[in-house]
Amino acid sequence: MTAKTVLGDANQVRVAIDLIEMGARLQLLQQETSLSRERLLKLYKEVKSESPSKGMLPYSTDWFMSWQANIHSSLFMDTYQFLVKNAGIDGVQALISAYRLYLDHIQGIENSEPVLSLTRAWFMIRFFKAEMLQLASCTECGGDFVTHANELDANYVCGICHPPTRAGKTKAARLAAAAQYA
Amino acid sequence: MNTKQLQEGIREINLNYLMLAQQMIKKDKPAAIFRLGISQDLVEVVGDLTPTQMIKMAASNMLLCRFRFDNNLLSNLLEDYSKGRMMSQAHAAILMSAQPVEELA
Repeated sequence: MTAKTVLGDANQVRVAIDLIEMGARLQLLQQETSLSRERLLKLYKEVKSESPSKGMLPYSTDWFMSWQANIHSSLFMDTYQFLVKNAGIDGVQALISAYRLYLDHIQGIENSEPVLSLTRAWFMIRFFKAEMLQLASCTECGGDFVTHANELDANYVCGICHPPTRAGKTKAARLAAAAQYA
Repeated sequence: MNTKQLQEGIREINLNYLMLAQQMIKKDKPAAIFRLGISQDLVEVVGDLTPTQMIKMAASNMLLCRFRFDNNLLSNLLEDYSKGRMMSQAHAAILMSAQPVEELA
């Protein structure tokens, strides 16, 4: 983590650029790199040619529970844990790799956009470390999904096996369908 | 399809598979481990293969890669049309990441 050497410093800048390109907020950069706030600010403006957004970070575990968000965050978290377990990487490297894989995956599917932002993904990892969230196995498909910690989930069924009635029937989806027939 | 054509097809797939796997490994190792579903040791072995070794390995009559999903996952992948593409693809990835990687014994 230290940037005492020139090489270490270059590495930290590389990591910071990756994170900024993927849409990281300044608070995340400060936590995950050892660069000073001033340098990060400057770097941010150079990469994005705009000032970083200010204000509070999205701090809520409930966001991860709504239907679509839950599927996206489960996809990310499963990827992240797979990498930590099998690829021997950790910390910010695992975050970057997993988020890139998540983006690749979503972009490979038509008509879908990434819902989970990098900052939320990072927060989710912290929620897992703080044991506020956990993974539960769906009793029907066996996949692991994000749930609140200590939830009574002996008979947990995931949102893909049993989607809620109105899931995915948004205004945007309706408009897209109408445009297809027109 | 006679036996000769069959064996040729297998060899072609083997070579393609090895070449693609090596490219993926050289580009981004962690991502390759995730996408190929093989262990770190195996990734090292495949990543270090020389072209000659690869051709020799591919010239076998057995397929070098195999299916990496169980029935549950397979049925999910096939259900594509009933649930929409986004969901079945995401579902497949979620289930696949829960599977163990192929390892060297």
